[in-house]
Amino acid sequence: MIRNKSMRRASLVSAIVVTGAMLLSTLPAQAATPGVTATEIKLGISSPLTGSAGLSYKKVPGAMKAYFNYINANGGVYGRKITLISRDDKYLPVRAATETTNLILKDNVFGLVGALGTATHAKAYKAAALAAKNVPDLFINTGFSGFTDQTKYPTTFMVLPTYAMEAKVIAKAIKDNFPGQPSVLIAQDDEFGTDGVAGFTAAGHKFSVANVLYPQGYFSTPGRDAAVITSLKGLLAAAPGSKPVIVLFGTTDVTAALLKAATDAGVEKSFTWYAGSVGADANTLLALGVKSTTIDGVVSASFMPDAKDLTDPYVKQFVAINTKYNKGITFDNYVLAAMNSAMLTVQALRAAGKNLTREGVMSAIETKGAKFASAGLVPLGYSATSRIGYNGYWVSQLNAKGEGKPFGGKLVVYTTDSGAGAVTVSTFVRPTMPKNGIPTNS
Amino acid sequence: MLKLTPSKKRLFLFIIFGWILLILSNQVGDLKLYQGSFVATYALAITSIILLTGYSGQLSLGQSALMAVGAYAGALTIFNAGFHPVIGLLVAALVAGLFGLLLGLIVARLSGPYLAGTTLALAVSLPTLANQFSILGAEEGISFDVGLAPARFGEDFSQYKWYFWISSLAALIMVWFIANLLTSRYGRTYKALRDNPVAAELSGINVGQVKVGAFAISSGVAGLSGALLAVLISGVSPSAFPLSLSFALLTGAVVTGVYSLKGVILGGLVLVAIPEIADSLVSRIGGSEGFTTSLPGFLVSALLILAVVFAPNGPGSLIKRKHHKK
Repeated sequence: MIRNKSMRRASLVSAIVVTGAMLLSTLPAQAATPGVTATEIKLGISSPLTGSAGLSYKKVPGAMKAYFNYINANGGVYGRKITLISRDDKYLPVRAATETTNLILKDNVFGLVGALGTATHAKAYKAAALAAKNVPDLFINTGFSGFTDQTKYPTTFMVLPTYAMEAKVIAKAIKDNFPGQPSVLIAQDDEFGTDGVAGFTAAGHKFSVANVLYPQGYFSTPGRDAAVITSLKGLLAAAPGSKPVIVLFGTTDVTAALLKAATDAGVEKSFTWYAGSVGADANTLLALGVKSTTIDGVVSASFMPDAKDLTDPYVKQFVAINTKYNKGITFDNYVLAAMNSAMLTVQALRAAGKNLTREGVMSAIETKGAKFASAGLVPLGYSATSRIGYNGYWVSQLNAKGEGKPFGGKLVVYTTDSGAGAVTVSTFVRPTMPKNGIPTNS
Repeated sequence: MLKLTPSKKRLFLFIIFGWILLILSNQVGDLKLYQGSFVATYALAITSIILLTGYSGQLSLGQSALMAVGAYAGALTIFNAGFHPVIGLLVAALVAGLFGLLLGLIVARLSGPYLAGTTLALAVSLPTLANQFSILGAEEGISFDVGLAPARFGEDFSQYKWYFWISSLAALIMVWFIANLLTSRYGRTYKALRDNPVAAELSGINVGQVKVGAFAISSGVAGLSGALLAVLISGVSPSAFPLSLSFALLTGAVVTGVYSLKGVILGGLVLVAIPEIADSLVSRIGGSEGFTTSLPGFLVSALLILAVVFAPNGPGSLIKRKHHKK
């Protein structure tokens, strides 16, 4: 009994001491926002570093860190250094859910940047209670139009255009540049592909034959790619003298498999290959064994400048940062996109002001985001009602070195929406790059 | 003096354990609760493996596929048919059980590597198959939302505590049921079958029937754990149930000791704790990103080898052996 009493007294005293200590420690104004101190802003990213998806995407967190370190070395954001905590989700939904929850509950990050993948991030968003905790979910790396739903994802900001937009732009570009040619769509049979099919339908584009929809992993079985090419040859026989447009709306490995099969069949130059932005990374295609002569002439949709175009001031600056802060990593489209998202993040944090809050960052992107400087050659679409980043594409054509050049020698930028809106040619002029790539906006 | 039968004693133990968990859930933070929910879910999945492999002697590498069946069935019940989440969990167990029954009927004649191969094929193909049906939501999958905790629990009652309650309660009830089953007549026939099928058949046990029965029950348990896993990530999709999950669970079962149900929580703990241990190790000693990402796999493999070499029947047997020596 006595022991109980003394224990109770002791616990009461310690409770008062702890409460007092907590109150005192929370007195500084900033401590109320998780992940922000007077000297640091903690951000988190959950993405695949290992596994099959890790092969192409593992460069993303490192490239973002490199850009943040560059900014940190140049004064940070209002004196605060940015720390990026990276966790490997192996592209698995369960891992994404637990790693994102860890970022929020364990690492106590201010917000998330560059989360990757549709199935993974949709699960992670709910499991980590990002909406309930009002955690900014910035510049996610997926084009699935479902993430534009602000009631379901109130804190999410996309950066990629949606796949539906891309399909609409491709439809328009085919109409403008390859009139009268037969066309075929070969697309992945998941939310990515169906988003695309919906886009082509919205644009009123009619393909010459039924769409070829294949499940993920379908082309890993030998012979299937060759069979598709054989069926495509039927088009040549049906319309002699034509050069059919083959739209490849899938991942890079599938684009590579089909291009290689076409080369093997000796018909690679009989078609115009139109690869979607997801599957047209030239470096990866070359690494996967596609001949440079086959790559020469492939048409693609892009919204970023080409990573090999050193005449572009943004690319040049990012290459310099990569050389110094990301040693040993080859600069490619993934590194470019990641650094660009990091640059957008820095501008969002600056735009929110010195008194950084989660609400502040999100409303700053809504009000000022459309004017942020970025490497993208198409406009950003942020507003109070839109969470879509880039809202258009330009038509690029790869040469034998894998460089993406404007189709027909002239840069044509198309903008559109994910719904029934028209595709229009844009006169967008990209904002000038901040001096040395260090944003000074407010 | 009140004398308790073993089954009453077991019920009493489970209630006490549940009560301890309830008290604990009010003491720890959200992160521990979330991890605890995974421990409960994995423990349940390991139970299904112990029942199947440890007791009835059938080796399955397709437990993740059976979990997926349960998860999809539960998600469809809640998301498409609009039923209460509790019904969703029950349907998950039932449908997976029925699926297991059918599968059991087909594979009853197989054993050893042939059975392992068949279930392995199932684990590889079933999630991909789910991609083919639009009702299953393709790659993105479908939502499995149990909703927020009832308002009467108060505003401070977090989503994670709710998950913990659901998964722990479901796991406790199911493991209690299986523990009873294993000490019953059926449990003994399972063991007889595992140790010597010919002798079992000679003593009048219908080997085929018992095998199929064990397969069906084990599938039901796996289905429920799959549904719980879907609850924890608030949705189900093909990639949520990869082959690696089957192997991880099998590892958990071996570390636990595949012949006894007593250590299932340990198995669950191992699966959840290893990434955590790897994490803190790396942050303490530092290291490259490659080191961070490969350490958990290395630790699991090391543990598996140690378990097989030093405690093939689980850590419980080590303690028992020590007692015997004394």
